Amino acid sequence: MPLIFTFLFAGCDKIEYSPNQKLDRDGPRNVNRVNLEKLAQTNGDDTVRFILSGDTQRGYGEARDFVKKANTLPGIDFAVIAGDISDFGLLQEMEWVAEIYNRLKIPYIGVIGNHDLTANGKDVFQKVFGELDYSFVYGGIKFICINTNSREFNFNGTVPDIQWLNKEMKSQSGINKMVVISHVSPLSADFDKKLEQPFVEALASTGNCLASLHAHDHTSGYFTPYETGPPFIVTSAILKREFTVITIANGRLESDNVSY
Amino acid sequence: MAGWKAIMYPINLLTVMFLPFFSLAQEKTESSKSRKLMPDAVIVQHAGSIGYFSGGIGYELFKNKKGNLDLLYGHLPRRKGGNLDIVTAKFAYRPFKIRINDVAVIYPANPGVFLSYTFGENLSFTFDKDQYSRGYYGWSEALRSHLSISNELELSGKNLFNSKRNRSLVFYSEFNANDLYLVSWATNRDGLSFFKIFKLGVGAKVKF
Repeated sequence: MPLIFTFLFAGCDKIEYSPNQKLDRDGPRNVNRVNLEKLAQTNGDDTVRFILSGDTQRGYGEARDFVKKANTLPGIDFAVIAGDISDFGLLQEMEWVAEIYNRLKIPYIGVIGNHDLTANGKDVFQKVFGELDYSFVYGGIKFICINTNSREFNFNGTVPDIQWLNKEMKSQSGINKMVVISHVSPLSADFDKKLEQPFVEALASTGNCLASLHAHDHTSGYFTPYETGPPFIVTSAILKREFTVITIANGRLESDNVSY
Repeated sequence: MAGWKAIMYPINLLTVMFLPFFSLAQEKTESSKSRKLMPDAVIVQHAGSIGYFSGGIGYELFKNKKGNLDLLYGHLPRRKGGNLDIVTAKFAYRPFKIRINDVAVIYPANPGVFLSYTFGENLSFTFDKDQYSRGYYGWSEALRSHLSISNELELSGKNLFNSKRNRSLVFYSEFNANDLYLVSWATNRDGLSFFKIFKLGVGAKVKF
């Protein structure tokens, strides 16, 4: 009996009902809301600088080293994981990654990726991180984070949500520039081809969208394939020990790829 | 339709699982063959990655009775992170035995393997072939294999309750790691500790 009780008390956080469970008692919750509240309290300056990272998936060692590296960089306001936080869409995976990213000195937010939508991943992401489509304003710049993982919805025409995007892109007072962040870029075969043009048009519509930022490809890239609208900047992957630093100053956006 | 399916699946599974139990119970009279198929234990378990609660039957294997085969049906209700129904087949071996006294025996470390299949609205055995090219995702959402290690405390009913029949009561705790956690650890041994991937369940058996 003592043996059994020892195990029982030693392992309260080790209790698991199923690897596919959508929630547990003590994991990280509402990561995006909590971190955006933190970000809102920080005193920014004229320059907005943030880290675009993506595809942590099973790269726990790489993620841990990323946090160490990011914590040494000066002048960074926040970090983004632009999707594929998990590999198998499991609660435990998203919690493991969130626990690692929690050690960042700066706030961070998560954006949904295709792997995060496998199994019960959609519900898990909503509990651990938050909404699939959301936006926030920082330093006079509106950041629009949107689910573009069309293949996971079998290209049913609802992802990305163009109507929501158009509404978010409307000009607002106090907002000078906009940045769109999503996992899959419209150049990918995993993006709904029927929605590619509407997506690009939505980005071009205001004339003040600085860039559309993505991950998914595991190689970095800078693309300007369309006649109008902003460039498409793709970060490599944490799995590959690479991320991208985005700097916005004087209405211009620059990107620098960093290996570590 | 989906709702009906969700209800019928577990009912069907329960029926399939317990059918031999019920039918054999009736004719347990004598044939040694059917006696062999009679379960040696009934089991209830909490957590352990196969449901909030699960229940089923167990068999002792081999002449030395050191092997265990357990068949369980588990459920995880919506309010606890479901809705999921899980069927599990476990195999374990009990190499070590510590006799405490007339009443109690401890099996301190029983290694095992088990398979679980989860029925849930977002889970399927394979990813849709029309939606994804071959090898796009290389795992099954519904089928998991697990490594396990358990310990057992067995209390003999004969001595404890003065029962004439050779019944006993078993309490156990079991750690398991599923294949997806194992592959996560195996490819990240510096980033993820082996201890972290093992999850706990506790249970009880009545052996007869």
